Amino acid sequence: MKARRLVGAVIIVVVAVALQTTFFASIRLFNAAPALVVLVVIAYARHLPAEYALGLAFFAGFLEDLLAESALGLWALVMTTVAYFVLRFRDRLEDDFSLLGPFVFGVTAGALALFSVVGTIFGEKTLADAGIVRKILLPSLYNLLLAALILPFITWTLGVARRRSAAFKI
Amino acid sequence: MWRPSNLDRPTGMFIGLIVLSLALVTIDLRASGEGIGSTLRDGTQAAFAPVQEVVATVTRPFADFFENISDMFSLRSENLALRERVSELERELQETESLQVRVSELEALLGIKPPQDLDSVSAQVLAVGVSEFDHIRVIDRGTDDGVGLDMPVINEAGLVGRVVAVTGSVARIRLITDPTMRIAVRVERTGETGVLTGRGGGAMSLQLLSIDASVVEGDLLVTADGRFPAGIAVARVTKAARSEVGYSLETDAEPVAGVTRIHFVKVLIFTRDEAGVDDLEDADRLPTQVPADPGDPTEGGPDDPLPTTTTSATTTTTTTAP
Repeated sequence: MKARRLVGAVIIVVVAVALQTTFFASIRLFNAAPALVVLVVIAYARHLPAEYALGLAFFAGFLEDLLAESALGLWALVMTTVAYFVLRFRDRLEDDFSLLGPFVFGVTAGALALFSVVGTIFGEKTLADAGIVRKILLPSLYNLLLAALILPFITWTLGVARRRSAAFKI
Repeated sequence: MWRPSNLDRPTGMFIGLIVLSLALVTIDLRASGEGIGSTLRDGTQAAFAPVQEVVATVTRPFADFFENISDMFSLRSENLALRERVSELERELQETESLQVRVSELEALLGIKPPQDLDSVSAQVLAVGVSEFDHIRVIDRGTDDGVGLDMPVINEAGLVGRVVAVTGSVARIRLITDPTMRIAVRVERTGETGVLTGRGGGAMSLQLLSIDASVVEGDLLVTADGRFPAGIAVARVTKAARSEVGYSLETDAEPVAGVTRIHFVKVLIFTRDEAGVDDLEDADRLPTQVPADPGDPTEGGPDDPLPTTTTSATTTTTTTAP
């Protein structure tokens, strides 16, 4: 059971990366696309046990690294940080569901900003990108909208009930 | 007193993964695009391409639907602009035909090999980068089709980018708008040379080297000799500018290829060895060996006109792929 759900999570991450690089190449409102993989990592980190959530986030980031032009490990670092941040705040989110939207927006913006800063430190010139603010804020906004679809979907795939105790049993 | 045992398990694991990530970054940067990182990337790209192809096929109807909706809004204004452009092009065509004869004569005289002689490989864009900061495209052609590292990539309008990684079946292109891209260009109207630098999207930055250079809005910038074959259209100047004393000219230029929405491209079977002139970018990552096979001649050859512009001192001609 445990292995089946983990494999399912890995498959969903792979599909998310594939969608990010194909489907969202066409669907670009105001020349920007959602950061789908960040959203999927947030969604899993809300429910998976901490170690699994961190491992899955690292895998998602590493897969992005392998398909990106940036230095290997940058996205892995960002995604792991995202997962850790969600892990630290997920209990509070469970208490106040209305925080979830702003939280998704903030975490996505924070993740993209972190990538820009760390990328620049390692010579990627990401902060020199034209329209850097737009490239951070628009995907965050789209993630906020997509969250209404993706978060319940991931919850459903894990078979997690709304009871918090069930969330830690993968 | 703080001790490592005070850390909870997730925090310990988080720190471990962050250290691992930083180690990976360091190793990859030290390898400068070679080594295990490069092998892993090429392998993953090759393995992931079929997944991307399947996902792209499944989602294409939805993507087309959304794309058509967004296109509808811009259709009317685009139609008017296109009509205007057609009449402008008809006028230019008449001028070009007479100039073409003179250019051919001059080229024959100077022994210049025009870019039209280059073989090319047509390719479809499979995927884009994983984020807004990744200015790459993945195409469905690789070394098996004659594509090699550093080859220029064009579309019907002009230069799109260059090949930065290639496997047997797919290749990765870095777009000209990438902030690390620097392209040697020449102003078609005046012959002044300069450097175009990507800014990650939108307009590129143009720096002309001459102290008394000037450009006007609409000036076409074409590749100068170097990494790319000379004469490929790259960008159009969007702001007129003139050099000031003691400073080089700096202004903006919009890429003519419209790199944000490309579906099909052509890879020119061209290597830097053929250019024989210093380039400006990533000199340490140049290929040591290029594929000898020029690709399938049926997919593009001398008979297939490229969107290139050849400029001589007094005459200019432009040919555009149908």
